[in-house]
Amino acid sequence: MNPKEQLSKVIDNIEKVIIGKRDIVELSMVAMLSHGHVLLEDVPGVGKTMLVRALAKSVGADFKRIQFTPDLLPSDVVGVSIYNPKDMEFNFRPGPIMGNIILADEINRTSPKTQSSLLEAMEEASVTIDGVTMHIPKPFFVMATQNPIEYEGTYPLPEAQLDRFLLKIKMGYPTPKEEMEVLNRSQLSMPIEDLQSVISLEELLELQRQAKNITVDETIRSYIVDLARQTRVDPYVYLGVSPRGSIALMKSAQAYALLKGRDFVTPDDVQYLAKFVFGHRIMLRSEARYDGISAEEITERILTKTKVPVQRLVGQ
Amino acid sequence: MSSVRKNKAFMAILYILVFLLLTEWLTPVITLTDTGHKNLFLIFIGISLVMALLQVHWAISAGVKILYITWFLIHVYTETAFFSIDAISYILSDLRVNFEALFAQDWAMTTDIFRTVLFFSLLWMAVYLIHYWVGFRLSIFLFYILTVVFIAVLDTFSPYNGDTAIIRIMVVGLMLAGLLHLARWLEGHRINETMDRLAGFIIPLFLMVAASTAIALYLPKAGPIWPDPVPYITSFSGEGGPGPGTVGRIGYGVDDSELGGSFVGDDTPAFQVEVEDGQYWKVETKDTYTTKGWELSEEVAEPVVYGNGERISTEFEPGTEEESVNAVLDMEQDFPFILYPYGTETIQMDGEFSYSYAPTDQKIQPLLSGAPVEPERVELQFNEPTYSLTGLRETTVEKLAELPPEFDRYKQLPEELPQRVRDLAAEITMNSETVYDQARAIENYFERNGFEYSLTDIPVPEEDQDYVDQFLFDTKRGYCDNFSTSMVVLLRSLDIPARWVKGFNEGVQIDVETDSDSEIYQVTNNNAHSWVEAYMPGVGWMLFEPTIGFTGTSQIDFDLDIETSDPEEQELPDRPEQPEVEDQDEAAAAANNNGPSFWERTGDFIADNKGAFIFGAIAFLLLATVMFIKRHKWLPKILVPYYNRRNGKQTFEKAYLRLLKQLDLYGIKRQEGQTLMSYARYIDAFFGTKEMTRLTASYEQAVYGGEPETVDWHELKESWENLINRTSS
Repeated sequence: MNPKEQLSKVIDNIEKVIIGKRDIVELSMVAMLSHGHVLLEDVPGVGKTMLVRALAKSVGADFKRIQFTPDLLPSDVVGVSIYNPKDMEFNFRPGPIMGNIILADEINRTSPKTQSSLLEAMEEASVTIDGVTMHIPKPFFVMATQNPIEYEGTYPLPEAQLDRFLLKIKMGYPTPKEEMEVLNRSQLSMPIEDLQSVISLEELLELQRQAKNITVDETIRSYIVDLARQTRVDPYVYLGVSPRGSIALMKSAQAYALLKGRDFVTPDDVQYLAKFVFGHRIMLRSEARYDGISAEEITERILTKTKVPVQRLVGQ
Repeated sequence: MSSVRKNKAFMAILYILVFLLLTEWLTPVITLTDTGHKNLFLIFIGISLVMALLQVHWAISAGVKILYITWFLIHVYTETAFFSIDAISYILSDLRVNFEALFAQDWAMTTDIFRTVLFFSLLWMAVYLIHYWVGFRLSIFLFYILTVVFIAVLDTFSPYNGDTAIIRIMVVGLMLAGLLHLARWLEGHRINETMDRLAGFIIPLFLMVAASTAIALYLPKAGPIWPDPVPYITSFSGEGGPGPGTVGRIGYGVDDSELGGSFVGDDTPAFQVEVEDGQYWKVETKDTYTTKGWELSEEVAEPVVYGNGERISTEFEPGTEEESVNAVLDMEQDFPFILYPYGTETIQMDGEFSYSYAPTDQKIQPLLSGAPVEPERVELQFNEPTYSLTGLRETTVEKLAELPPEFDRYKQLPEELPQRVRDLAAEITMNSETVYDQARAIENYFERNGFEYSLTDIPVPEEDQDYVDQFLFDTKRGYCDNFSTSMVVLLRSLDIPARWVKGFNEGVQIDVETDSDSEIYQVTNNNAHSWVEAYMPGVGWMLFEPTIGFTGTSQIDFDLDIETSDPEEQELPDRPEQPEVEDQDEAAAAANNNGPSFWERTGDFIADNKGAFIFGAIAFLLLATVMFIKRHKWLPKILVPYYNRRNGKQTFEKAYLRLLKQLDLYGIKRQEGQTLMSYARYIDAFFGTKEMTRLTASYEQAVYGGEPETVDWHELKESWENLINRTSS
């Protein structure tokens, strides 16, 4: 079975639960394949949890959920050492972070201290408690959700932290027709309960390896660099995309190409993913807000402005 | 982004070439304005360019330049040491004076120092502008064209000789344009090359330019087919001749309708001649005086054609010396006529030549199978005419009245001729008895009455001024045209037939041919000359030389023995009735039809058919434009067979890119930020095909996938052909 078939099987499987959101499912797969994490920004009840659970079930992964609240402590995330009087020593009780697929729900509701404990774990794929470093089992995929930051009682994620998410996705409401279908399927039992795994964790790890080997031509790399540079010189942008952002765009484009059954990245891949990779990495000046221009619009503008490479570089 | 611009060695080459180009600008300016210190100005340009190249901070750069300018001013205008208190205060006070003059708008008060400062500022700006063109725009074409135009205009309209400058500009400009094209190309493809690799481009480019220039230089070149554009342009614009204070260049010209103005010497060789004694070399005469200059009346008789070596009959009977004299002319310029001495008997050239003698202006034109040619080597037999003194003594004034009407055109004078000119002629000849005495009296008048020979500061007559009148009464200084024209007019006012002759004087003797007892003369443009022929009734036409400092007199036989020849005999046989010359325009038109000069005819042909030419050019341009705009219609017809035959590894990629261009011409533009695939989908939706997506997928595989070998051009050919044919429908 080739990677494309494997992946479409997973996506089809998830679509049994999540209706009409194939692009979101695909993007989640892209993030997972390129060792990245996803920030889902949307209102409650549109199926964020369901998406992550379905994803976990489909790949046979361990699923954990952390509900962030203002009083949550870092130890509630990464785990804590507790003194055991019987053995006369500290025993480590792993926190919910020690899983394969984690749903960090409403991450902007908790204090920055707790947020950063999660984000550090995401970046390093390990946690250090009392001087002991513990690796988190692979694959490790975090899907964090946040309510739109304008809501009351939230702690917006700092810029440096946002950069650690590979993609930021908005779920959006289903269309009336899709919503009807959701109602139909949920009448008797939640369909998530019947979901079976379609690929093994080992197969998933193998797909991750394959994604790394997807060809990214010199022209595409320079296109990515051009796009990133453009965000840094845009008059509306206060802080442009970092080199980490360029890497993120390249890696996600590789995973997307794998998903589409190609062994090379095309400019279309880059253009499609740029919105999701750049959106949360561009800090706008206040002028942009006055003019009502969003980061997504800036990205869109840069995409139309930047020359797509259509010719092989000379001497290649 | 700026990969090439960071390559200092490459940029240094560009700036050196720019420096050379700027030198070509500076040289004529310095020469024409009589400015000194060219090298110091060049050093300034050099310093400015080096600092631009090294991207010195603007403040430092400006400081250095101002320092240099100050040093220049002190060095050139004051005797004092560098930056002494005196010098500085002198400069400052001078600047103050000038600024006061500026604010008072008293331009004449500005001093040389201030003008120098302004000139430096101009250079500064020029360097900055070029730095921008070369360093940022990577494009020099505009400046290059300006340079060529500048030098060409100066060469044409000023004494500056740009013969070699234009070659240097060509070489430097081609190099610059080539290198900048390379730079733009490198930048367009984001290539960062080392100097070693660039040398692979630069050296062949240099060799190409050098080789093509060398070949162009040493290949034989055809003479100009266009007449000297200056009189054409000036006559066209109605300005008329070089205005007062303007400077022309000496030489044999075609247009004499606007005489006057100053001249500078020009020692371009015209021809060399081997002859026993120096001679006046006649080209043609003109008969109609217009108050401003000379024109030729309508053709009075068909040209008479003589064969090689056949005895020619000019209006001057050869002399009676026993032996004729031989003259060999080696032409160094392309003249479409024969230069002949007085008393010419035969003309000989190597080949099947014949010679057409025009009685209207006495011009002899060599013909090769009926078509005019430009002679290279001409051999002439001649015998200098001699005039019997007895005959000349009998040239009574009464005989003038009996002359046949053919001579009327040589008595023509414009009605506006001021009376004081006629009065002067009468006064000069008051004591002369015969026509010959009158002519001699006029000939000698100038030398004895304070006239001055000069080439410079000669005005052009104003609209209401007569050329002769101005010379005789106002300026009293001039060159051959002034003297000869005045003499003709004075003669004519006494009813003596006279005409104005153009040609060359004897030139400078440069060698002696010992064995053949002949001398070699070098004749240059400086020897272009004009003089007078007057008709002595009962004797014939005679040469007169009124110009001070020239000695071209006719031989007089004092034996009083020779029979004077009948004037009727001297006239050419069957000369038709001479038409009246009244209408100046008609005369000019006649001159056009008559003037056998190749230049004249080319120029006139174009002038006559100007409408047709303009129409043709517009039609051609329109056609070319339409062809260009509609090229998507016919290009596929060429492209399809071309790419069909090709089979190389990159053929598909090239064909695909060609297709993109073709679609662009068709009107479906791909936006810069649009990917090939989304464009392909649009194309397919537009044409209702699936082929563009298919081609694009293969193309993406080849380019982005780095696997060009997996693409089979043969399979895709049909789709490609199908699409490209749609663009032409």
